[in-house]
Amino acid sequence: MSLVSDRSQIVLLGILALLCIAISLAAPQFYTGANVIAILRQCALVLIVATGMTMLLVAAEVDLSVGASLAFTGCVGMDVTNRTGSLVLGTLAALAFAGGVGLFNGLVVTRLKVNSLIATIATMMMLQGGVYLYTREAVQNLHQIRAFTELGAGYVGGLPIPVLIAALIFIAGFVALRFTTFGRYLYAVGANGKAARLSGLRAERLKLVAFLATGLLVGVAGLILASLMNAGQPTAGRGFELTVIAAVILGGTSLSGGRGTLVGTLLGVLVLKVIDNGIIILRWNQDLQMVVPGVVIILATWLDLVRRRRDAR
Amino acid sequence: MPADPALRPAAEAAAAPALEMRGIGKRFPGVIALEDVDLVLAPGKVHALMGENGAGKSTLIKIMAGVYGKDAGSIRIGGRETELRTPRDALAQGLKVVFQEIALIGEFTVAENIFLEQYPVGRAGSIDWKRIRGEAAALFARIGFDVDPAAKTGDLPISQQQMVEIARALAHEARIVVMDEPTSSLTPSEVALLFAVIRRLTALGIAVVYVSHKLDEVFEIADEVTVLRDGRHISTKPIGAHDHDSLIHDMIGRRIENLFPRSRGHHKGEVVLSVSNLSTDAKLKDVAFEARAGEVLGFFGLMGAGRTELAKAIVGFDPIRTGTIAIGGRPLKPHDTRTGVSLGIGLLSEDRKGEGLMLELPVQQNMSLAALENFSRAGFVEEGRERSAVQSFVDRFRVKTPSLAQPIKNLSGGNQQKVLIARWLMRGLKVIVVDEPTRGIDVGAKSEIFALLDRLAGEGLAVVMMTSEMPELLGLSDRILVMAGGRITAGFERDAATQEKILNAAIG
Repeated sequence: MSLVSDRSQIVLLGILALLCIAISLAAPQFYTGANVIAILRQCALVLIVATGMTMLLVAAEVDLSVGASLAFTGCVGMDVTNRTGSLVLGTLAALAFAGGVGLFNGLVVTRLKVNSLIATIATMMMLQGGVYLYTREAVQNLHQIRAFTELGAGYVGGLPIPVLIAALIFIAGFVALRFTTFGRYLYAVGANGKAARLSGLRAERLKLVAFLATGLLVGVAGLILASLMNAGQPTAGRGFELTVIAAVILGGTSLSGGRGTLVGTLLGVLVLKVIDNGIIILRWNQDLQMVVPGVVIILATWLDLVRRRRDAR
Repeated sequence: MPADPALRPAAEAAAAPALEMRGIGKRFPGVIALEDVDLVLAPGKVHALMGENGAGKSTLIKIMAGVYGKDAGSIRIGGRETELRTPRDALAQGLKVVFQEIALIGEFTVAENIFLEQYPVGRAGSIDWKRIRGEAAALFARIGFDVDPAAKTGDLPISQQQMVEIARALAHEARIVVMDEPTSSLTPSEVALLFAVIRRLTALGIAVVYVSHKLDEVFEIADEVTVLRDGRHISTKPIGAHDHDSLIHDMIGRRIENLFPRSRGHHKGEVVLSVSNLSTDAKLKDVAFEARAGEVLGFFGLMGAGRTELAKAIVGFDPIRTGTIAIGGRPLKPHDTRTGVSLGIGLLSEDRKGEGLMLELPVQQNMSLAALENFSRAGFVEEGRERSAVQSFVDRFRVKTPSLAQPIKNLSGGNQQKVLIARWLMRGLKVIVVDEPTRGIDVGAKSEIFALLDRLAGEGLAVVMMTSEMPELLGLSDRILVMAGGRITAGFERDAATQEKILNAAIG
């Protein structure tokens, strides 16, 4: 069945393989264990949020507020933990905040029928401004709870904890999209909302769930980011939403809904982060970290179009 | 199996053909779309191009339009050998194709659309709007078409947009005009207007290619008819050499004994759908009727009578203002398809692409959509059970598809429709509402769809059929209700219904 990875991932796999070979020829340290772990750690945050974003795009919606929400969530989580001295309460507050943002986006889109591109840009603006009303500067780690630091920097069985969390979320998301009625309905709603509604599906509720899930995943990512930076940074997460969406689209998920896989998204994240890593270890100008992915996205999308045109008919 | 050379048109000795296509071949990966096809058009004649879906008509006209390149054969226009590489090429050679999907810019005025490719330019390179409007008006006068050149194109009904497309052909001094299923969304009076325009075109010496499924229209307007089947040229004859049966025979390669098979008697069960006092803001006014298990209840109406609005209201898709709808005695919550489906009413929409199919998704996902809960446990889809259920419907309905994983967009209209009917049967319904069930479906598949609907009624479903096709209405319905202006204006038992009575009630 075409919902899993199939031949559609060939282009991306090829690009990934080429990148790995090229970078390792130029810089042999690419394949060291430490560097591989570093790449995976870089992937984790993006993959966590991209899992939710894939669901949204499959349902023909999008959320541009994830970057702004990511920063705000980190501030909220750190602040509440500081005030209460309880990591549990801090975590719950962060998840409640980010989940609330997701729910808000979902309600605006499904109830008020505002286009999700517009609605979530508006949310992004509110959050970017709102975070400065909440705190003028970075919320420092005053509680020094060890488990909080572990969240970003710790290891279990040789793997960084963020990577393990991302892997669990990815697997859960993959199972949900691929094997459950919920996943199948998301594809249906994205592919043809009217047909889905005529078939008795609750299209609006499904979309709401996808928005909420994306929000909660932003909460998880926000906590990890705050742990890594050992602070809640209001300026963190600028441009994060574009990296996430770029990875999802690179993975072959259609902006018009109904098509896409999480395996593709995983490959998309890997490609972007291997490029980042390559630029760093080759000591290229860091500004190329934005330029090269831009070129790759156009290239990959075009190659995929060529491939599909050949497959059609 | 090469086409019989004896069936090919004899070389026209008199006037040079407007267009001469010989030995046209076109392959797509894995498919031979056209093989050794001939088409010769005489100036000033209407040439019908017929065949089932998948016969190669669309490929052929796309080659004429310069959308596809041909792989083999030659094209002569006005006796001169030529190549049509792009749509611009075709237009420059005087060949204009009016596709089913209108290719006009809705936000522009009618006049702007007509001169889109070649705005007349005044001094200093500015566009001469006054001249554009004047020339557009002159063109309309030539084809006897009354519309304001300054009107916004998107505001016009489809029928008038079609006329704008035809006027565009004239603006390009087209000598050949191809019309692809031009009447598929026209009312009878609009069809009459279109035919008048076609006659004017032929009087100007323009060759017209008329692509249609509708036999009656072809017999009325065409001078000659070419039939394609499976990408091959089957016959080209003057229309006088054909009757209905021979034309159908050429198209499908066999005779259809009875287009409207009836397998059941007049047994009717209990009332399963009752609608009373139904009004909507948009259209419907005080509609009331009942449908019984085991019957086909046909609704007839001209365009704008309110059939589609009624269909969408009674399945809970559209909101209503007043009235009640009950399925099997239990009230349906208006504007809520979920309770509708769970009570057992479902709609087969007239708009297959817009409201039925998930084009990019496989046959399997398309068919099981409404019934997926039956194949799931604790929220997980049991794909084995799903697949075998889908497979059994594919076999039972003889859906032609290479596999269940095939994206449904690659199936013919008839096979798509079978999948959508199966979507509902899998779910299990008491009432199926079918809106224009054979729109855009070719003759062979039509009779299969009719047989299917008939069998559903025989199995105890109430089939509520909305149609604008008189033969379909009379052939399939047990009872007929006629709508006009959002109301039910008349009702007939099958035996008492005649075309005249129905039309009278429909005109209201």
